[in-house]
Amino acid sequence: MMKKKAGKIIFGIVILAFLLVQVYPVIWLFIASLKPTVELSTTPFGLPKNVTLDNFIKVLSDGKFVGYMWNSLKVTSVSLILIVSLSATAGFALSKFRARISKGVYAFFTFGIMVPVQITLIPLFIFYSRVGVLNTSFAMILPQVGFALPLGVMMFVGFYSFVPDELIEAAIVDGCSPYRTFGQIVFPLSRNTVITIASMYSILIWNDFIFANTFISSSSAKTVAMGLKDYVGAFGNVDWGTTFAAIVISILPLMIIYFLLNKWVTEGMTMGATKG
Amino acid sequence: MGIIRDKKAFWVFLLPALLFYIFAVFYPIGESIRLSFMQWNGIGDKVFVGLNNYSAMFQDRVFYQALINNLIYLLIVVAMQLSIGLFFAILLTFMKKGVMFVKTLYYVPCIVTTVAITQLFRSIYATEPQGLLNLFLQSIHLNQWTTSWLADIRTVLIAVSIPEGWRFTGLYMVIFYSALVSLDPSVYEAAKVDGATELQVLFKIKIPLIKEILLLTLTMCLTGALRGFDIPFLLTGGGPGNASELMSTYMYKKAFSSNQYGYGSALAVFIIIESMIVVIILRKVFTSREESGKRNLTKGRVKMWKSQRRGA
Repeated sequence: MMKKKAGKIIFGIVILAFLLVQVYPVIWLFIASLKPTVELSTTPFGLPKNVTLDNFIKVLSDGKFVGYMWNSLKVTSVSLILIVSLSATAGFALSKFRARISKGVYAFFTFGIMVPVQITLIPLFIFYSRVGVLNTSFAMILPQVGFALPLGVMMFVGFYSFVPDELIEAAIVDGCSPYRTFGQIVFPLSRNTVITIASMYSILIWNDFIFANTFISSSSAKTVAMGLKDYVGAFGNVDWGTTFAAIVISILPLMIIYFLLNKWVTEGMTMGATKG
Repeated sequence: MGIIRDKKAFWVFLLPALLFYIFAVFYPIGESIRLSFMQWNGIGDKVFVGLNNYSAMFQDRVFYQALINNLIYLLIVVAMQLSIGLFFAILLTFMKKGVMFVKTLYYVPCIVTTVAITQLFRSIYATEPQGLLNLFLQSIHLNQWTTSWLADIRTVLIAVSIPEGWRFTGLYMVIFYSALVSLDPSVYEAAKVDGATELQVLFKIKIPLIKEILLLTLTMCLTGALRGFDIPFLLTGGGPGNASELMSTYMYKKAFSSNQYGYGSALAVFIIIESMIVVIILRKVFTSREESGKRNLTKGRVKMWKSQRRGA
């Protein structure tokens, strides 16, 4: 009995210790953002003695960061709309139409999962600078959507294969066009798939660094992830208080999405992961 | 296969996505391959140089260093993500209350942007003022271990690998956990009745049963690590010297800092070939298990899969 109890305590300690390692840095971030810069350098850990919102005010007052948030929101929402609509229609075509090339096209889409995004950077950079769309939101939306399509299509094909063919047959017999069948019957059924894809990609796209860093240099088109670098001067010259506040502001929308849609996010992320 | 025969509607539904995909993913692949045979600084004319970029690449000392660094990075990241992820997934299966809570919190680092994560680790590794890590070492009287983690060539590669391993550990834990709990209890309950200990059940029954998931996550972990970019790039930019240079940071620098677009493209082509080789080898090695592994993904399907196996 004693042994069992001791085991339980050790078990609890191990779980808590790991929880601490995983989460403490993030919690620390939140606490640190509430500390005055002076206190941050003297007592970086522990609870703040003088809670201050100065860091947040500093970040929000110069208006630049709000602009970054707006850019991120624009890129993320347009990309999401495109990802969902394109992969839903393609998924419908590939799973519910009698076409000989469906299988090949599906394989072609799944191939994209293996392709590293780095391959696009040089060609797209050259293409963008030729047509003059560097420093626009479009520059980031194109590759974001392109690289999300393989998984999006796979997930919609996976879901539509559960939609009984009889349902569609009945609609067609009743004189429903394929477009109406999709818009009014099939697509509304896929709400869960839509939420899964949207919640997962909102996180990935909001957090994107590599595309933004390559295609964006003017501060009017910068996204939040890049804006976080604003507060880092030359080596060692980091305004930590402001940086932490900016980080907190940038991850708050995601935290809210994540805690509200927790189930769908983890499902989507793990699915995306295991298919990769 | 499907049932709607309308050819025109088929293309109306398929074409937008297909064109988008081809343009965003395949046009760049083709262009990269073409550029990798050129010499071009971004302004003047492109000069066709045949395989020169590739032969230069194989004589480039930094290329080999980046390759070796990338392998070490890969080992650290994969070891951290898979072993820690699996260990805590197993522990969680013994937990009765609060699993959802713990899972949710473990997962938090996955949703934080890499830029924030690098800032966080930059402050953890900092020396002026002392960061979390050095303060911790001092507090347990290991002063001789404190160092400037990101400037010391002996520690920098490990220092840039750990944040990447750390942030996705929760993701792998969630994957392993859902694989473990979706196992049919009747399989291992029988063994327990026969007197098998928890550890025996774990190593002889449960882990072999989720082997497919382990292999799949290994694939994804490996290809993910081969593409590693954000954290090393932001944290050290590959430095000091090339001590933490990875393949993709090197490619990025060659193209966008030294304007050697042809050479950069050759490196990009190498990265894509490298990750495809890894995927192909893993698929070859575990071909027969691939299919069942995929089916293993969802709870409902796992039962189907097992009843088939039992039937066979």
